[in-house]
Amino acid sequence: MHDNASGGDGVSPAGVDVLIAEDSRIQARMLERRLTEAGHRVRWGENGALALAMARERRPDIIVSDIEMPEMTGYEFCKAVKTDPDLRTVPFILLSTLSDPIDIIRGLDAGADNYVTKPYEADYLLARMGALLATPLAAADDTGDAMLEVTLAGQKFRVRAGRQQVLNLLVSTFENAVSKNQELIVANQELSVARDGLQKSNEELTALNVEISRINAHMVRDLKAAAKVQRSLLPPDNVDIPGTQIAWRYVPCQSLAGDFLNVFPLDGEHTGLFVVDVSGHGVPSSLMAVTVGRFLTPKISDSSLLVRQGPDGRVVVVPPAEVATQLNHLFQADEFSGLYFTLLYGVLHLPTGRFDFCSGGHPALVRLPADGGDVEFHATESFPIAFVPDVEYAQQSIQLLPGDRLFLYSDGVPEAMDKDRNPYGDEAMAACIRDSRGQPVGAGVAGLLAAVEKWCEPEGPLDDVSILGVEWRP
Amino acid sequence: MDQFRRIQTGKKGDIHLVAFKDKKILDDTVLDEIRTEVTHLIGKASGPDVLLDFANVEFMSSAMLGLLGQLHRKISAGHGRLKMCGIRPEILTVFKITNLDKLFSIHKDAPTALATFT
Repeated sequence: MHDNASGGDGVSPAGVDVLIAEDSRIQARMLERRLTEAGHRVRWGENGALALAMARERRPDIIVSDIEMPEMTGYEFCKAVKTDPDLRTVPFILLSTLSDPIDIIRGLDAGADNYVTKPYEADYLLARMGALLATPLAAADDTGDAMLEVTLAGQKFRVRAGRQQVLNLLVSTFENAVSKNQELIVANQELSVARDGLQKSNEELTALNVEISRINAHMVRDLKAAAKVQRSLLPPDNVDIPGTQIAWRYVPCQSLAGDFLNVFPLDGEHTGLFVVDVSGHGVPSSLMAVTVGRFLTPKISDSSLLVRQGPDGRVVVVPPAEVATQLNHLFQADEFSGLYFTLLYGVLHLPTGRFDFCSGGHPALVRLPADGGDVEFHATESFPIAFVPDVEYAQQSIQLLPGDRLFLYSDGVPEAMDKDRNPYGDEAMAACIRDSRGQPVGAGVAGLLAAVEKWCEPEGPLDDVSILGVEWRP
Repeated sequence: MDQFRRIQTGKKGDIHLVAFKDKKILDDTVLDEIRTEVTHLIGKASGPDVLLDFANVEFMSSAMLGLLGQLHRKISAGHGRLKMCGIRPEILTVFKITNLDKLFSIHKDAPTALATFT
C-alpha cells in the first residue's frame, strides 16, 4: 500500500506520481512543465473536488495543492486526503501566500505536511518534494486523534495533528521564513543601492534646477533690458515740432515687439517719421528692430542713414528711397534667415508741405485731406527690406495742403482680427480716420486705436499696433 | 509615401508638388517644421521646380512670407523655379500689401500653374 517511489535513497527522487490541484490553468501548466522536466508524472485537477476524485482513482506519491479554489478549497481537499485511510500517508504540500498567521493553524488542522509560499521558485518546490518523500510518513505515527492546543493572536485553537506532521510543517514554515528573509535582505540591499542612486540623481537635478533658475533670471534681465532699449526707440509722449501737430500710439502685444516708430526734426526744415514692422515676434524680431533703430537716428553719426554732414558742414537729409536701399543692402546676409521688415519712412519739408516717402512693403500711407476730399491710400511700390538683394527702392511724393493729415501704421491695424478671425480692414480704418476730421490729430490716432481694440475684443490684438498721425500746419 | 507632417508631396514630371496640410500657419513651431520639411524635400534636387499649393491654408502669418522668400532664393540660386497656387483672397491681400505678389509667381490653381512650367 505504501509503495512510494522515493525508496529513501535520495532527496530528489525522479519519476514520482504528482497530483496538482490548481484552479489557474497557467500556473498549473507552468508547474506541470517543470515537474515533467524533472522526470515526474503529473496529473492536474482544477479544484479540490476533482483532484480528490483523481487521488482516489489512483493513489499519487505526492500532492501539491493551491488553497483558494472553487468547489473545494485546498484545506478541505487536504482534510479529505488526510482522513481517507488509503491516502492519509500521501505527503501534502499546500501552496499558500501565508498572508495570515491563521493559515498555519488551518494547514495544521487540515493535516498538511508542508507549506510552500507563493510566489515560489520551481527548484525550491522540487527540493521540498524531495525532502518530504525522503522522510515518509509512517501510517502508524499519525494516530489521528492527538489534539493539540495552540494560542495564536489571542485565540485558542484545538487542532488534530500527528507529531511528524507538526514537525514537518514547523520546519517548512521556518525554512519559508528563512528563505523569505533572505529575499528581503537582498531586496533591501537593492533598495538601498537604488536609494543611493536616487539621492545622487536628486542632487544632480537640484543642481540643474539652480542652474536653470540662474540662466532664467539672466534671460529675464536681458529681456527687460532689451524692452527698455526698445522703448528708447520711441518718441517722447508729446512731440512738439513747430509747423506740425503730431500724435502716436504704440501697443506691443508682447514685452518685446517687432514694431517701432519715431518722428523727429532732421534739420530746421525737415521732419522725419517712420513706422517699422519686423516679421515674427519675440527675441529675434526685437533684436532686429533694435538693430534697425540704430540706423534710423536723426543724430549725425557713423551709423545714421537719415542725415549726414555736407561738405559745408550743413546737415544733408538723405532721400527716403536711398535710406531704404541702403537698409536693404545692410540687412543682406549670406543666407536669408527669413527675418525681414517693412518700413514706411517719410520726410516732410515744413516750408512747402512736400512729403517724400519710401515704403518697403509697408501697408499703405493714408492721407486725410483738409479740403473735405476722401481719404487716399498710397500703396507701397517696393519689396520689404532684407527680402530681395540688390533692388532699388522707389520714392513717392505727395504735395500736402495746410491741414492735411498723414497716417502711418503697422499691419496690426488693418489685419487686426475679431473673435471670428475677420480682419478689421482698410475700409473700416478709412471710415474711422474720416470720422476723426475736425478733431485734433491726437483724437484721430486715439480713436483708431480704440476702434482696433474694440474690434479685437475680448482677447485684444494679437499683433503689435503702431499708429502715427501728422498734420501739416504751416 | 506620406512621410511629412506638415506637407503633402507629389511629383508631376520633374516638378515637386507641395501642398500645405495646415489651415493655420501662425505658430513659429509649425513654420519651423514646414521649413525643415520643404528644405529636406528640395535639398537633394538640383535646379528644382516647385509648386506650392495653399488650398488648405486659411490663415498665415507674415513670418510665412519670410519662409517663402527663403525658398525663393534657395530655388532661384539652383536655377529652379518656384510657383504658388490656390491662395485664397484674404491671404493674397497679405502678398499685395507687401508688394510681394510682384516677386512671386502666383497662379489661380494647380493646373494653371503647372501649365506655366514649360
